[in-house]
Amino acid sequence: MHNPGRPFRLVGQLSRNVYDYWKAASSTTRPFVRRVQSALYWLPTLIVFTQVGCTVRTVTGNSMQPTLNPDLSRPRDVAIFNRWSVVIERRYERGDIVAFRSPREHGKLLVKRLIALPGDKVKTLPPHPETEVTIPAGHGWLEGDAPFNSEDSNHFGPVPLALIDSKLTWVFWPVDRAGFRRFPFEWPPG
Amino acid sequence: MTQPNLLRRLKPPVVGALYALNAFCAFHLFFNYVGSIQLVSGPSMLPTMAEVGEAVIENRLSFWFNPGCLKRGDLVTFESPLTPGRLVCKRLLGLPGDTVCVDPTGLKAPSSEHVVVPRGHIWLMGDNADLSRDSRDYGPVPLSLVRGTLWARVYPFNRVTIFRNPTSLLQ
Repeated sequence: MHNPGRPFRLVGQLSRNVYDYWKAASSTTRPFVRRVQSALYWLPTLIVFTQVGCTVRTVTGNSMQPTLNPDLSRPRDVAIFNRWSVVIERRYERGDIVAFRSPREHGKLLVKRLIALPGDKVKTLPPHPETEVTIPAGHGWLEGDAPFNSEDSNHFGPVPLALIDSKLTWVFWPVDRAGFRRFPFEWPPG
Repeated sequence: MTQPNLLRRLKPPVVGALYALNAFCAFHLFFNYVGSIQLVSGPSMLPTMAEVGEAVIENRLSFWFNPGCLKRGDLVTFESPLTPGRLVCKRLLGLPGDTVCVDPTGLKAPSSEHVVVPRGHIWLMGDNADLSRDSRDYGPVPLSLVRGTLWARVYPFNRVTIFRNPTSLLQ
């Protein structure tokens, strides 16, 4: 290739043509309508950003006390969940607080701590029929920080890592709970 | 005078790249939520699908809108519980609450062993029982791992088929 910048210029030219066509096709001149149109036009990028980048979610429930929602009489914790490290990098680490799709109820997201990875041995807690479990390939053990108050792997056993949706990185609301601490902090305990 | 000149020269490719990115994202979303053409490989579905060189249309819209649309006998695509991120296709044998025989061939479990498929899970098996890793190895699969169903084969052209559900009820 004699001109290394050529492919980029071609992409630019092509997209500029698309841009011009889009401008010409929407003949309205009302600024509000134009703004809505342009917002709609850029929606795919926004959605894909939340799917592979990061998203903001509110954590409900008390199964992660005292790490999350330490006081239920106050507003719920709102946090940034990082999808990149899970969906793209596939990096799973013991101690991460993760959001995962419930294996029992389709469409429900749970927030728990990833305790064990494939090959590890875990001591289970009461509802589980066995006292010790070896985690099979591709699975993980997820448990709430308040173990007797949470529906977790002690109820439904090891969870496929493919169900993990994102990793909690920063609680930023309520403001006094926010800081520049990166989750998970205080792990392993003691 | 260099600065505005440089900006003027840089702006079109940057703006162009942004528009290209947006178009790419739109296609990605369509493939993710509506459906796409996928290449199948592997021996696990052998009488139904060949080992290499076949392309199928995957329907994601139906399952996305109505997770209850799955029927026994459907070809289901789902993320492998053993390897995160790997998409596999098997045949659905049991819905939540069904009692299924773990392995009718007796290869991986005695053929007398039966299990009840738990809530929110399905039982999946490859058509080629000898060379398939499926629910016999990793147990019932959570519905949350399911992505969609297979609708038709589009390549090779002499084997174009719309997949029909082969199950029939015994009275």
